[in-house]
Amino acid sequence: MRRIGLLIAVGLLAVALAPVASAQDDDKVVLRVGNEQDWETLNPTWGYLVAEWEVWNQQYEGLTTLDENLDTAPALAESWEGSDDGLTWTYTLRDDLMWSDGEPLTSEDVVWTIQTATEQEWENYVYFTQYLTAEAIDEKTVQITSSIPSPQLPDMGFIILPKHIWEPLGDAEGVGAYEALDGVGSGPYVLAPDGFRDQQSVTMVANPNWWGWEGREPGVDEIVFRHFGNADAMVAALEAGEIDAAHSIPASAVEGLEDHPDLEVVIGYQGTIEEIAVNGGLAENQPHPALLDIEVRKAMAYAIDSEAMIADLWYGHAIERDTFNPSADAKWTPEIPEESRFTYDLDRANQILDDAGYLDTDGDGVREMPDGTNPIAIRHLVNTNDSLAGQVGELFSGWMDAIGIDVELVTMDSDQLGAAIAIGDYDTFYWGWTPGVDPDGMVSSFITDEIGGWNDANWADPRFDELYAQQIEELDEDDRVEMIHEMMTLFHDAAVYIAVNETPEIQAYRADAFEGWTRQPAETGPIMYNASGPSYALLAVAGEGGGSDSGSTNWALIAGIGAAVVVAGVAVGLRQRRTADERE
Amino acid sequence: MLFVLCVNFFLFRIVDTDPLANMFRGRNVPREVIENLRTSFGLDKPIGTQFVYYLRETFSLNLGISYRSRQPVWDEIVSRVPATLALVGSSAVFAGVFGTLGGIVAGWRRNTWKDHSITSSSMILYSVPEFWLGMLLLLVFSVVLGWTPIGGMVTAGSDAQGLARLADYLQHLFLPGLTLGLAYLGEYVLVTRSSLLEVMNEDYLTVARAKGLRDARVRQHHALPNALLPVVTLAAINVGYVLSGAIAVEAVFSWPGLGEATANAVQGPDFPMLQGLFLVFSASVIFFNLVADVLYAYLDPRVETL
Repeated sequence: MRRIGLLIAVGLLAVALAPVASAQDDDKVVLRVGNEQDWETLNPTWGYLVAEWEVWNQQYEGLTTLDENLDTAPALAESWEGSDDGLTWTYTLRDDLMWSDGEPLTSEDVVWTIQTATEQEWENYVYFTQYLTAEAIDEKTVQITSSIPSPQLPDMGFIILPKHIWEPLGDAEGVGAYEALDGVGSGPYVLAPDGFRDQQSVTMVANPNWWGWEGREPGVDEIVFRHFGNADAMVAALEAGEIDAAHSIPASAVEGLEDHPDLEVVIGYQGTIEEIAVNGGLAENQPHPALLDIEVRKAMAYAIDSEAMIADLWYGHAIERDTFNPSADAKWTPEIPEESRFTYDLDRANQILDDAGYLDTDGDGVREMPDGTNPIAIRHLVNTNDSLAGQVGELFSGWMDAIGIDVELVTMDSDQLGAAIAIGDYDTFYWGWTPGVDPDGMVSSFITDEIGGWNDANWADPRFDELYAQQIEELDEDDRVEMIHEMMTLFHDAAVYIAVNETPEIQAYRADAFEGWTRQPAETGPIMYNASGPSYALLAVAGEGGGSDSGSTNWALIAGIGAAVVVAGVAVGLRQRRTADERE
Repeated sequence: MLFVLCVNFFLFRIVDTDPLANMFRGRNVPREVIENLRTSFGLDKPIGTQFVYYLRETFSLNLGISYRSRQPVWDEIVSRVPATLALVGSSAVFAGVFGTLGGIVAGWRRNTWKDHSITSSSMILYSVPEFWLGMLLLLVFSVVLGWTPIGGMVTAGSDAQGLARLADYLQHLFLPGLTLGLAYLGEYVLVTRSSLLEVMNEDYLTVARAKGLRDARVRQHHALPNALLPVVTLAAINVGYVLSGAIAVEAVFSWPGLGEATANAVQGPDFPMLQGLFLVFSASVIFFNLVADVLYAYLDPRVETL
């Protein structure tokens, strides 16, 4: 019995001691990227996770892409020309484009993608393609006509799929159920054969047919994206050199990583915000009546100490904002004049409430309505899927307590939260948004028609709706920026989002492994998991060493553990003999 | 089983949630498209109708299509079973063998220094949360010592084959297996110890000793066969539960098994996947309970005669 146990122990130890297998072959340069999300599908017609987009951004290209400044740039199309009315655009494809499997990439692929996406209502396409018709003029010329004037043209950011792979799938059901493991793409890296084997990683290889390699060699032969079920484990893997870069690092880990000699931490911003929102009262259910008074909402906004919130939740790595960002591009977010900003000021908050007649008449520390009844006790919803929401709830109830508002925290998961918001069954909640590049998507969420839908402020304004309808057809960008700014200012002044912080994408990479990481948006954005993922094709092995060696083995500790085991073994052995003697 | 089926369906629908809300938040998707998807998932139907569909399909062995991956739930589950079985199997063997040995030592030499140290360390292991133990082992073995890889089932992107692949796999299995094994070790120790203590007061052991048999022989041939009966039951039942109980450990080590699938499906919520998983979990618990009963009858003639 004892011998078998020993044998098993020795066997396990031998396995543990064998050198850790490395993905780094002798002549193959492999970039290993860690992130916390996993992949549900690699089907780009409907998948929606950030981890999935990161794969498609490498595998496929659209007619156009976005450069580092988020401006429209050539991709499959090298040039385009618009008609005078701005409705018809003619795109000219690059010469000799090829799919990674060697099939020619022609205007037929473009036309098929646009027409089929609209017909079959592909979730990731219809928003862009529903007003478009496409026609192939010749092999490398496509004419695209929009039935409405759109400021988003000539941007054609959606990806073009290989017709020869996707057409045989048939109807919408066939396309939707397709696992898309074919690895046929038009971008710099494509899914390797068997590259999505165990759902824990995605392996991509350089596409020799990518037009962008012309005149140069890929700096990275293979990209391996790895999913970590746990962020701390991912950080540990980065420190140990098991991965070369990591996305979605917790803010708490930043300080430790910054001290690491080989690591570079990137705090990137691309418009993502967190907010504390107040029920504006337009949904089916009503909030506490006090919240319908804008003065009360303003007082609440003045009572929130955003600086403390950022320090507590984000270790200082977030930025206080006045309103949500409608776009990843900062030009769409207006400056709010100093005098109308809700800068933390408790005295002012209390003053506003006193002046508006919300007094604590019974001396229990909670204010009542001006008629002396109905104490202001509100329900704040805490999203259990958000690791910070509990902390925010505690902070929030402290701030509200300071101005005589009682807060009850109600926990629910994000689905329940979404449902509660849609019917207006709450007073306040904490959540966030990540905007796209065009502001239309975000601002459209706050029009009257979206009450019960995406309008999570349950607030609307006729002027906002009017501007919304105008901006969607405004072709002059400066004028459109002005309209969006006015909309955002209206939204700010309504004090329905009483606290807004722009939150970071925290990433880090091993500076001893690769260089050439590119931020998007330039200078402030993240280096990966951004709008178009420009970094990967620009990477090169750092210095001449390349790769990274793992194993910062702590021999002193090993020796210590070894010694302890030996001592314990001897002690047990002696003891055993002694007790055995005693028993006999 | 029918009861399980019904509970599975309604359990996940008690709270008022919209599986599509999470899916589309912050995306530019026209509302008609979302409603069409709702129809194709059958979520537009009244709950009674959904339940009838669910029963009919489950009885024809169709667990439905996962909302998250839009692949058949059955395929998803089957593809993840080997990972969980390997993890649970190795840790069950580890916990069973070492736990029983520890329990025997502790029970046979009760109230000695050895008994106290084994029993108290078992109590500690038994009460420690699995994910915490996992993180601790990960820190020691992977970060400080650099001996084992951090998470995953094989080295990501490696195209090693044959023996090299097996070695790679075993290295990845080592830590999660050890964690789960240690977490279940305590239970075996305690059960073995207490049932051994019970048996030790029996008359037939006194008789055996009186016959002049050596201590080891009394233990091996007279005490243990009877004392180990509850351990067998425990092992069988544990295997049934452990299939679903590996959620925390799988999450820490990014182990692509059923536990991780459950954790993913809860955020959604992916109703068909959750129902499928819970059906498999309940079926395995019921099955292994049956196995325990059958084994018991085989091992203990007293039961067979009933």
